Amino acid sequence: MATVDEQRLQMIAAEERRAVEVAPQARPATPREWLKENLFSTWRNGLVTVITALFVGWALYQILRWILVTGDFQVVKANLASYMLARFPREEVWRVWTSLYLVLALAGLSWGYSERHIAWTRRRMVEATVLVLGGILVLAYLLDTVLIWMLIAGAVAALFVPMAAGRLLAHRYRRPLRRVVIAGWILIYPAILAILLLFDGPSSRTWGGVLLNVMAGSVAIVASFPIGILLALGRRSSFPAIRTFCVGVIELIRGVPLITLLISGVFILPLLLPPQLQMPTVMRVIVMLTVFSAVYVAEIVRGGLQGVHHGQYEAARALGLSTTRMTALVILPQALRNTIPALISHFISLWKDTSLLAIVAGLTDLLAAARRSAAGLEFIGDSKEALLGAAFIFWAVAFTASRWSQRLERRVGVGER
Amino acid sequence: MTDDERVEMELEEARVIGDGDDRMIVAEAVEKWFGGFQALKGITTTVRRGEVVVILGPSGSGKSTFIRTINRLERHDAGRIVVDGIELTDDIRNIERVRSEIGIVFQSFNLFPHMSVLHNVTLAPRNVRRRPKKQAEEKAMQLLERVGIPEQADKYPAQLSGGQQQRVAIARALAMEPKIMLFDEPTSALDPEMIKEVLDVMRELARSGMTMIVVSHEIGFAKEVGDRVLFFDDGFLVEENTPERFFSRPETDRGRLFLSQIL
Repeated sequence: MATVDEQRLQMIAAEERRAVEVAPQARPATPREWLKENLFSTWRNGLVTVITALFVGWALYQILRWILVTGDFQVVKANLASYMLARFPREEVWRVWTSLYLVLALAGLSWGYSERHIAWTRRRMVEATVLVLGGILVLAYLLDTVLIWMLIAGAVAALFVPMAAGRLLAHRYRRPLRRVVIAGWILIYPAILAILLLFDGPSSRTWGGVLLNVMAGSVAIVASFPIGILLALGRRSSFPAIRTFCVGVIELIRGVPLITLLISGVFILPLLLPPQLQMPTVMRVIVMLTVFSAVYVAEIVRGGLQGVHHGQYEAARALGLSTTRMTALVILPQALRNTIPALISHFISLWKDTSLLAIVAGLTDLLAAARRSAAGLEFIGDSKEALLGAAFIFWAVAFTASRWSQRLERRVGVGER
Repeated sequence: MTDDERVEMELEEARVIGDGDDRMIVAEAVEKWFGGFQALKGITTTVRRGEVVVILGPSGSGKSTFIRTINRLERHDAGRIVVDGIELTDDIRNIERVRSEIGIVFQSFNLFPHMSVLHNVTLAPRNVRRRPKKQAEEKAMQLLERVGIPEQADKYPAQLSGGQQQRVAIARALAMEPKIMLFDEPTSALDPEMIKEVLDVMRELARSGMTMIVVSHEIGFAKEVGDRVLFFDDGFLVEENTPERFFSRPETDRGRLFLSQIL
């Protein structure tokens, strides 16, 4: 008897050992188990789950009912061109499309260059499907001419053809391609400005709608980035004069609301500048947005600089690197990498702040265009829908930027602690 | 190196030694204050070409501060420091010249985390010595081979063990072809099983004739390759002795007490 018991004990022990060995690869929980574990583990948790579900369900129902049944989005549909361009002359629209195609082509090429293999995880596939289907649905509702569909198809091609090309070329011509991409991004602004303004282009004061927001926001973002870095470095300079100047600029601008800056840009800047330097309202507003953004960039970058360990400075100096090289090659790359989330967040908020251009007399940005659209007799009472349309456009751009920043973070995270 | 160059070098060396000046580092009455705290209280010593000097002492005794004044990571407040004939003053050109002749290895490695190992090693030769990329990379690979980790060239520092990181740090310092190497507690942050791999590299370096100052409590290393021990306490250079004599019968009471605590 004893031996049989012993044998059984040994078998159980072996079984347990096997179970321990297998344990790390636990089988995935069934949906039912997952629900129980995460949402209904205790009666309190269950109560919270039920109440939250009821509230979310009710809110979703109300919103969807309004969007799909009660709401009348004809106002957006009829005024889509105004949303995009406001007063920009329609016969010059080819300039905008050309610029858009150019940007998309360059973006596609960079994408193909930087990401040669897309890992199609399940989550990404679901996300891409939702985005594509959602986009097609929204567009199908809004657009009805064949011409515009052809132009959109062209835009898709302008993104994906260069992407495929970039991916193919990146295998053999990685370095030349890299140079082309970098040169492209440096030249893209002059090129767009030339396309929009030169050869009898319409004056910048006709820019409006999304075109105005995008131009003002992106120029301010791109220009404020280097200025902000210089201000941040200046604030830590060993020269008291430079330091004082940078602190002064940062604290002065940061203490003033953007709307005040915009108004002073419109009314006071012309009084201060000599006649040769006078510029159109749009440019003055962009200057103000840039200055505003630069001081925030400066403070974010300063935070990043403080996060770089002092041992990095010592190692760089001990190798004989000059201050400039040390800053450019060792300190800034680390500081900037740490500030990517904060910088992107700031840039997204600056993008939304371009809606403040609506208050500047003589400019019609997306928000102003939306309000104007609902002012017509035929759409009286539709201002909710008109504003929601504008909000959706702001959101779509911000959301894209946020997703892109997550990829960027992962990419530059290589080799981090 | 061709034979002609080697002869040329030996002649050059003979000339210097012939002048009777093989002093690489001369420190005279060096003092350093941090606010009201005096970290160095008149340090005077000389390090000759090819010498391996080990600095010992309790924490806070000023040993790290002293070697950091030699390449101006700390500015000394009084006294004179002359490195290979160049006096360290506030003149930034002198400081950069001296720094490019001295390599330093830190306790916490201080590798650049955003660069690959190879890039870490080639950064200074390319940007300070203006070496072409290819040449710098060949030299870097030789050095990585010398410290025993050529296969890690394309990895990032965070992907390496502490011992491997410290060996990369040594290769990075050697890439500038320094005349002097400073080691600031190079093994203190390492797990015991990694200390040996770093000490082996340092031993090889010492035997190759490099002038070295090492702040370290590795007594085995000090006995084996050290030419001289400097014992610091409370900002003073308390005892200067050969390793054999210092570890068997130190001349000062303070040294004896210290040894009884660490042995």
